[in-house]
Amino acid sequence: MRTCLVVDDSKVVRTVAQRIVRELDFETRESINGLEALESCRKSMPDVVLLDWNMPVMNGIEFLRELRTSPGGERPKVIFCTTETDAKCIEEAITAGADEYVMKPFDTEIIRGKFAQVGLL
Amino acid sequence: MDDLLSEFLTETTENLSLLDVELVNLEQNPTDGSILGNIFRLVHTIKGTSGFLGLPRLESVAHAGENVLGKFRDGELEVSPQAVTLILRCMDSIRDLLTSLEETGAEPEGDDSSLIEALNAAAEGGLPAADPVEDSKVETASAPAVESSPESAGGASEEPPVETGDMEGADAASVGPVNMDAGFPVAAELLDEVAEAEAAGVVAASDAEIASEIAKEVKQSIAVEAKPPTNGAGESRPANQRTQAEAKDPSVASQSIRVNVETLESLMNLVGELVLTRNQLLQMIRSRNDSEFVVPLQRLSHITTDLQEGVMKTRMQPIGNAWAKLPRIVRDLAVETGRKIELKMLGADTELDRQVLELIKDPLTHMVRNSADHGIEKPADRILVGKPETGTIMLNAFHEGGHIIIQIIDDGKGLDVGRICQKIIEKRLATESELESMVDQQILQYIFRPGFSTAETVTNVSGRGVGMDVVRTNIEKIGGTVDLKSEAGKGVSFTIKIPLTLAIVSALIVNCGGQRFALPQINVLELVRASGATETRIEMIKNSPVLRLRDRLLPLVDLRSVLRVDDCETAIKTDADIGAIASTADRGTQNDCFVVVTQVGEYTFGMMVDGVYDTEEIVVKPLAPVLRELPYYSGNTILGDGSVIMILDPGGMAGETSSEVSQLAQTDDREAALRDETMSLLLFRAGGNEPKAVPLELVARLEEINVSDIERSQNRALIQYRGRLMPLVPCDPYFEWPAEGRQPVLVFVDGDQAMGLVVDQIVDIVEERLNVDITADSENLIGSAIVNGRATDVIDVSYYVTAAFPDWFGAISGPPAGESVSQLRVLLVDDSAFFRNMLVPKLEAWGCIVTAVPDAASALNLREEGRTFDAIVSDIEMPVMDGFRLAEEVRSDPRWASLPLIALSSHATEKDFQRGREAGFSDYVAKFDRDGLTTALSELISAK
Repeated sequence: MRTCLVVDDSKVVRTVAQRIVRELDFETRESINGLEALESCRKSMPDVVLLDWNMPVMNGIEFLRELRTSPGGERPKVIFCTTETDAKCIEEAITAGADEYVMKPFDTEIIRGKFAQVGLL
Repeated sequence: MDDLLSEFLTETTENLSLLDVELVNLEQNPTDGSILGNIFRLVHTIKGTSGFLGLPRLESVAHAGENVLGKFRDGELEVSPQAVTLILRCMDSIRDLLTSLEETGAEPEGDDSSLIEALNAAAEGGLPAADPVEDSKVETASAPAVESSPESAGGASEEPPVETGDMEGADAASVGPVNMDAGFPVAAELLDEVAEAEAAGVVAASDAEIASEIAKEVKQSIAVEAKPPTNGAGESRPANQRTQAEAKDPSVASQSIRVNVETLESLMNLVGELVLTRNQLLQMIRSRNDSEFVVPLQRLSHITTDLQEGVMKTRMQPIGNAWAKLPRIVRDLAVETGRKIELKMLGADTELDRQVLELIKDPLTHMVRNSADHGIEKPADRILVGKPETGTIMLNAFHEGGHIIIQIIDDGKGLDVGRICQKIIEKRLATESELESMVDQQILQYIFRPGFSTAETVTNVSGRGVGMDVVRTNIEKIGGTVDLKSEAGKGVSFTIKIPLTLAIVSALIVNCGGQRFALPQINVLELVRASGATETRIEMIKNSPVLRLRDRLLPLVDLRSVLRVDDCETAIKTDADIGAIASTADRGTQNDCFVVVTQVGEYTFGMMVDGVYDTEEIVVKPLAPVLRELPYYSGNTILGDGSVIMILDPGGMAGETSSEVSQLAQTDDREAALRDETMSLLLFRAGGNEPKAVPLELVARLEEINVSDIERSQNRALIQYRGRLMPLVPCDPYFEWPAEGRQPVLVFVDGDQAMGLVVDQIVDIVEERLNVDITADSENLIGSAIVNGRATDVIDVSYYVTAAFPDWFGAISGPPAGESVSQLRVLLVDDSAFFRNMLVPKLEAWGCIVTAVPDAASALNLREEGRTFDAIVSDIEMPVMDGFRLAEEVRSDPRWASLPLIALSSHATEKDFQRGREAGFSDYVAKFDRDGLTTALSELISAK
């Protein structure tokens, strides 16, 4: 089974996201910030990362830049989660190596669509 | 309730309490980007998660708040108190919505448009520039309008916490919308430890179980990540330090899991039972030496102890958890009353048992509120008295022994003793004449009496007369003490001392009238066996028993008569036991018993008991309700042998000592303290086997010199020492210089001058009460004292330094003078430790009781403390406040105005004499004309 890493500092968001990706037949892992996510990735690269933007310690962009320069770090698909308030960082995220972005709040259908777009489904 | 919703409520409530703290922080450091970033992120998260759960009201309110914060962050809007107030209002609104959400499972109907409009207006820069007080009034008035949830309209949580002044108010304010007081984070490793120790499988809580538990009982959970601020709201941390702290947090958080408090409580209970069973087994095994159970039992014992410690640790919480709400409270209060207050918090990570934490939370809140409301003056008043405009309230927590000390210190105006006295008389708590005999410290204690309040007008905040008595009761309930010090114009400091944990304590088991009682070990200072045959015997003063212990009077409580155990004994004894009863009656002489010297706060007293057993770890069980009214017991416990015994409450017992005797004992203590001051003495040999002594503080350094390095000039021995020539004087007048080798030297330094005293051998350094017995005839000795049980000559350093430098003291010693100064209480003020140390033993040798202080301010402090002396001897050349100014100060206040005042100076010209007399000195003596000093003292005393 393929794995999805959910990175968000809010447990509520992590819980919701994991429910959704499990429905899509993914195994899930979670991290509460970029730094933890990076450690998790270095141990074992997931197939897809659902990445929050604004997190303490290491935010989504910083994580993404680090990930893409790590060995094997180019492989995972990264879907960047934003809200309308930080929509202006979508461009920054794409430049940093995100494959897709999704607006919060999202639901199963939206995620399914995004996963399909990046070729996971 | 939906798991996800529960999770949302918990998370958002955590974020809100963090936000409260951070917002107050922000107000203090409006330019700190990292604080702002953090706030922004937290509000953003609230908004984001609300969106996921389809909660439009929460989302829109949070969104509006986030907008304003975004403007702050981008520097488009200035962080002003008004703006922060608005954001705080937004948080309150979110909190209220959460409350209804928790109760009904859905967002309440309602309209937040006025709040949102206000926020949007603020975001556009349209903030009213009203003054803070005015502003806050408007807010509180308009807050209900934005709120339409039925229960919040009248609920205490709706109002800012400061609105309520009593303990109940504090309670309501601290509870918050979600009851978060019943669960707390436990480091995973701790739980591992517990699980390991519990191989037997008492309670094995898996993560999954715990998780579902939480989901069910979100009401009982509190923050994992909710780290309280570890330093003051006003202290701006360097940014890098801040990020470091943040970097650490998540890793800690990720190793933590939530555990239901009930689970921990039951664990603790089981551990308690296990300890009891272990004790029981140990007792059984003690009687059989060769049992095969000894080894496994020992192991069981160790594991039990480890387990106990482990479980205990899981109950520990940082005290900062109890402080988290304080910055907001103080901030709101400051705005409301137009004051400027900075709250500093030190030692927020000091950990203590959660049960204790719960119990002190409200008293602490109340005391901080009191300090803010009563203590800190208005900015204008502070400037008038020369204090910084912003008042400071400092919270400080630290471990000391098995205790936690929490201090609450403000730099406000202090308690008004006059008003307290007035209030005492008004309330007929004491008469005027009784008050006169009390020192300020005793008068201050009245503020802990029920219904005592000196606030002139009852404000929202305080002055309802419910307060300090509740504070004290709450603290004493958990075996703690509270002490206060107040200095007019400088502020008040409260010191709370509480035990680390309540559940398992070490106790001394005593016997009284054939029954056993447990006495918490922390209150026990020492055990004394009193008997008619020895020096320590019990005397009666004013019909109350006292023990004379090392020259101090110790008030006693006769446990038998207080607990009336004799009565019960008589009632249950049969005729056959008559003999036993008779022997009890014999104890009417009240000798031949043990006295447990007990300390409650600063008060020391003795408890008379018949016998003393062992100390034991006991598990405290609460008293049955029917016994709870008795002041003498704090609980009960089960001993190893299975018997149930009462735990004595030393606080309650202290009330049984006679107040007259305690006062007598206190004055006695003060005198004793004066006599008991010990001094470090350096012991050495010089000529002969008898040791000689010199006060260690006089000695600057101990050196060993090479005899071959000694140079001679005009019949004097000199040595190059630290770039100068230092004269060497042999201590023994018959000393003969060896041809070579090394020689120990004591170096005395005063200012630029240094002198080396040559001795044979340095023996030891001892701590001894310097009680010089005989004034020596020999001029190189002060006298002889008993040191280490041997008569020892105490040398007079002044003799030797004069030998090295005839002009060291600017005067030459004359012949010894009269002895009429004995028992004179002398206050010596001199900034040179050298002179103080030299003069004190000398004056003591003449029979004076000397108190020495290093500066004029300390001398005047003693006056404030109410100390009295027979004479003051003061140096003239002192930093900050010189002798002349001290004299003027002494003469200007009636308390010490009539005291003889002797000036000591090396500048003893006629002009100086005149100036000294003008300033108020009675006499002027050349420094270290020691005989001049005695003559002056005795003359002054006889003239008086």
